[in-house]
Amino acid sequence: MSGFWSTVFNAEFVFAIFRITAPILFAALGAIIAEKAGVTNIGLDGMMSIAALFGTLISYWTQSWLVGVLGAVLVGMVLGLMMGFFALRLRTDIILTGIAINMLGGGGTIFLLYMFTGLRGNTSSLSSSNILIPTVKIPLLKDIPVLGSILSGHAVLTYLAFILVFVVRFMLNRTSTGLNIRAVGENSNAARSVGISVKRVQYIALIMSGALAGLGGAFMSMYYSQSWNVGMIAGRGFIALAAEAMGRGQPVGAMLSSLIFGFAQALETRVSGIQGVSSFLVAAIPYLVTIIGLVVFVWSSKRKADKRRRQISTSDGE
Amino acid sequence: MGAANDTAQNIELAVDMRNISKVYPNGIAANQNVNFSVRKGEIHALIGENGAGKSTLVKMLFGMEQPTAGEILLNGKEVQLASPAQAIEHGIGMVHQHLMLVPSLTVAENMVLGMPPKKGIAIDYQAAVRMTTEIAERYNFKIDAEKRVMDIPVGMKQKIEILKALLRGAEILILDEPTAVLTSNETVELFQQLRNLRDDGFTIIFISHRLNEIKELTDRMTIMRGGRFMGVHNTAAITEQEISRLMVGRDVLLELEKDEADPREVVLSVENVSYTNEWNKLMLDNVSFDVRAGEIVGIAGVEGNGQKELVDILFGLRNAHTGEVKVNNASILGKSQRVIREMGVSLIPEDRMLYGIAASGSITDNILADRYANKEYNVGPFFRAKKIQKDTEQLIKEYRIVAKNQSQQVDMLSGGNIQKVVVAREFSSRPHLIIADQPTRGIDVGATEFIRKRLLDLSREGAAVLLVSADLSEVMEMSDRLLIFYGGEIVASFDDTSTLTDEVMGEYMLGLRRQEKKELEELAYV
Amino acid sequence: MYKRRMVVFNILRGLAAIILALAVAAIFIFLASDEPFEALKQLLIAPLVNFRGESAAFNVQSLYQILALMIPTMFTGLGVCVMFSADMFNLGGEGAVMAGGFVASLIAIYVPMPAGVHPVVAVLVGTLVGGLVTLIPALLRVKVGASEMVSSLMFNYVVMYIIMHYLNNVFADRSKGSTQSFPFIETAKIPQLVTGGSRLTYGFLIALVFVVITAIFMYRTRWGYQVRMIGVNPNFAKYSGMNVASTLILAQFIGGLLSGMGGAIEVLGRYNTFLWKELPGYGWTGITIAILARNNPAFVPFAAFFLAYLDRGCQLMSTHSDVPSEMIAIIQAAIFLFFAAEQFLSGARQKLVVKNAQDELAAMEAKTVQEGK
Repeated sequence: MSGFWSTVFNAEFVFAIFRITAPILFAALGAIIAEKAGVTNIGLDGMMSIAALFGTLISYWTQSWLVGVLGAVLVGMVLGLMMGFFALRLRTDIILTGIAINMLGGGGTIFLLYMFTGLRGNTSSLSSSNILIPTVKIPLLKDIPVLGSILSGHAVLTYLAFILVFVVRFMLNRTSTGLNIRAVGENSNAARSVGISVKRVQYIALIMSGALAGLGGAFMSMYYSQSWNVGMIAGRGFIALAAEAMGRGQPVGAMLSSLIFGFAQALETRVSGIQGVSSFLVAAIPYLVTIIGLVVFVWSSKRKADKRRRQISTSDGE
Repeated sequence: MGAANDTAQNIELAVDMRNISKVYPNGIAANQNVNFSVRKGEIHALIGENGAGKSTLVKMLFGMEQPTAGEILLNGKEVQLASPAQAIEHGIGMVHQHLMLVPSLTVAENMVLGMPPKKGIAIDYQAAVRMTTEIAERYNFKIDAEKRVMDIPVGMKQKIEILKALLRGAEILILDEPTAVLTSNETVELFQQLRNLRDDGFTIIFISHRLNEIKELTDRMTIMRGGRFMGVHNTAAITEQEISRLMVGRDVLLELEKDEADPREVVLSVENVSYTNEWNKLMLDNVSFDVRAGEIVGIAGVEGNGQKELVDILFGLRNAHTGEVKVNNASILGKSQRVIREMGVSLIPEDRMLYGIAASGSITDNILADRYANKEYNVGPFFRAKKIQKDTEQLIKEYRIVAKNQSQQVDMLSGGNIQKVVVAREFSSRPHLIIADQPTRGIDVGATEFIRKRLLDLSREGAAVLLVSADLSEVMEMSDRLLIFYGGEIVASFDDTSTLTDEVMGEYMLGLRRQEKKELEELAYV
Repeated sequence: MYKRRMVVFNILRGLAAIILALAVAAIFIFLASDEPFEALKQLLIAPLVNFRGESAAFNVQSLYQILALMIPTMFTGLGVCVMFSADMFNLGGEGAVMAGGFVASLIAIYVPMPAGVHPVVAVLVGTLVGGLVTLIPALLRVKVGASEMVSSLMFNYVVMYIIMHYLNNVFADRSKGSTQSFPFIETAKIPQLVTGGSRLTYGFLIALVFVVITAIFMYRTRWGYQVRMIGVNPNFAKYSGMNVASTLILAQFIGGLLSGMGGAIEVLGRYNTFLWKELPGYGWTGITIAILARNNPAFVPFAAFFLAYLDRGCQLMSTHSDVPSEMIAIIQAAIFLFFAAEQFLSGARQKLVVKNAQDELAAMEAKTVQEGK
């Protein structure tokens, strides 16, 4: 079996984990921000798909990957604004709004592709290496054995994804916007009582969520798959929701959960060639793990809350 | 003693509410011509039972409601307070009963919410902590600025609410029944803090109905009853008996036609029931009483003395920690609502919108709720639609429910008719025991009279009735036997309410008096 | 009178939403197509009308195809109606459809049975399996409190991958080019209702039967009644003596049963082997149908017909003009958003109507009091 281990577990493998995790991580961060503000965004999958499409198109038109990525981000933000309009202004249930966005991300993207380019199905004819997201070889780091081949050579956005974990954490915990988001999501009456506009904060959260989904989509179409096709997102937006839940709504926790998925998916690709191991069953593992993680999380936080309440009351009830 | 007097003597009035009236669209007058003035730098109590109108008055002061008539002057100048934000701008701060804090944020974060100090793009958290500790120290509050709100006890949460108001420039603090959730130690601390604040020049309005606390803490008091102003007094100069007399009293004599009760076997038996709530407060302390078939037992008492918990326990929504509750000799503890109903118990809940009805359902849907599984309404798996329709129509007629037809959505009906739907359902199941919790609160005269008469009829036909009501006239005149709750205990029991005066009632209800154990045992069928 | 006014108002509001959605679609068509009018004609009229030369004739075969498209979505629509009536966002219909279809296929391939019995057994087993798929998130929600939405979404993928595993590694027909199972035994297939290749099977009639059964269940039995009351106010339901937990589980189980049945009937009716390589998407359409039907099973056929009509229109549009058939996704999303949003778009108008009603009632009250004196 040693052949198995060395085939599967090597520097290349770990490299792949980071690469595979990045898009999930972007979406998971978007899920966190929306969830914290009390507006669950289950339309991330659709957002990613639509933003991915526009990322490819815009980079082709402008022949600049940077403008393409920014375009994807902008599209994501517009979608977030749209969700806010329907859910907050017209009072469509936020879950249903998310489902509608996913529908758009499904067939609607094929239509939009046709509308803008006349192409059907995918954009492979449009891509050329100069408009893909570039990879970076970090000097010094790249020469370290093993570690170098794991950490150097990733796409710019890969590094960005992991950096954003800490940026989002900073935003939520240390900025006024983040404070408002957390207040609004947890006790909107308290927020209102100090003059915060709950709707405005929720709009902002959805727009940020969309921006992150945009980055995730751009990553997929402009680096990971190097072109856009429908179904390329493959439910990553939903996995991101699970990562958010399993990570207990914390950016670092979501990062770890996303890495678990990344690991499972990297494993699946490595292992699918090997006899006797079913790639499909391996692919199912991350989803199972999420359900289990979710159950454990809910059950343990309920126990924690009860314990806390009992502790507080006994401490002062002399 | 009043505002005019003060002004004449050049005593500065922080708050002067003149001739305030508040009438709601459904015709209910919450405040009628109330005069409420508070001197600068005093602790002023606003006293009254629940429903006396003090919450409404204070809501108007905090901009949450607008008066139908009258004016509000702050520091001598007339103001319009159209929103809480405006009230805050004028230096009014309110500590609500339901605390407005975000549990997972720290104390400091809650304090600066909406106006955090910044350092570049980030919040200057250290500054926030500093601000919090500084203001806490200045007013001698001991708090831990970096602890999360979910990890601190209720007493401290309240202090933070006070500090929040102070931080935002409040000079007038309104505290709405603050001691309801505090232990005695926390109450002592709070009072000391409030005295310090008063000595520093702040004006404090303290809403409560606990006489001992008011006597201990406040300088003056304004008493309200039934939406009306009953006078303002120096705390030192008025006795608790006098307060009780002004606070508690019937405004109307109902003159119900009531036949003599002929009580038979015991239906409800409550034995030594005690209950501690989730904040470790003892809400029921060794309560025992019976209700017999054919009699109406009333429970009077200011709200918050254990009545709500008792009703919940009787209907299986909470579990007693010690003691036994039996209906027709079978224990109901630990049983589900379905089983309790099958044992012949009906409940008119206090919160009809939350528990009593399915708001968007039809009248039929609502009436069917406790009998959908009955044999008479089902044939095999299907409903007997015609029979259901017929019986519902019959009930609508019998209870004089005003509606287009039985498919009408219940929340479209007026309050009184909504309650009649609840009552139609609860009364028509031929219950052995009816628990009626504030059955006529907030509904029109016609529906009120109807429901009371029905309750009387059912009692005389043999049902056991337990009536919990904050409406003194109602509970005194409808009851064959009257129990008074105070502090989770029965402090008085009366066999004959016709000779009871309002004064005596008040004294028992406010904890100024209690019957001897022997007296209780003699009069109650315990 | 009041009730009639409200009903008419609701219908108009719904129509407005649909027209708005179609207008949005039209805008996109104009932007995308070189021959927009032809495209619109294909979308809106061609599904039922055959244009040959100068004359226009009613196209019966096309009608049959539309009805055939409705079969799986009526089932999932019914399933969602039941689940949403209990206020549960269980999205496991997708997984249930696929699982129902797969298991029914296995019985159709490997378990020979006499004709007549064979499809019935296959469909029943598929139905049951579908119920199990939605049951698990339901149990997690009721017993532990975990969101049924997230767990059902995840479970859909688990189900899909398990099916893919078995399809690819155990039951695959290696003689064929693409991944698929062995062919069904003839006796297992659901017979066609009409000739002409429209794939309109008896499944359509079964679906209609279940529309009636579900409607009766929801409005004429004590279990459906409980489901609805719990969805409206769970506190009230508990206080009235209903068993909230078991009813919530029942509602979601039924949702899965219906979806599973839809999957089984669709696979055994339309195809010769099992060849779904991913979640087929009928679950999401079912949600749209339930929204349009306002969770009332009786309206499901109409909503399903409407969507199937548009679906066919999009297919024709892509065949005869230059607009891709995926336009249906945009239309569905738009209908979804506007229809569900319409709830509050006319919030102000609602209030007026309500006030009107209250005034009327007050007048009636006053009259009664007067008479009572």
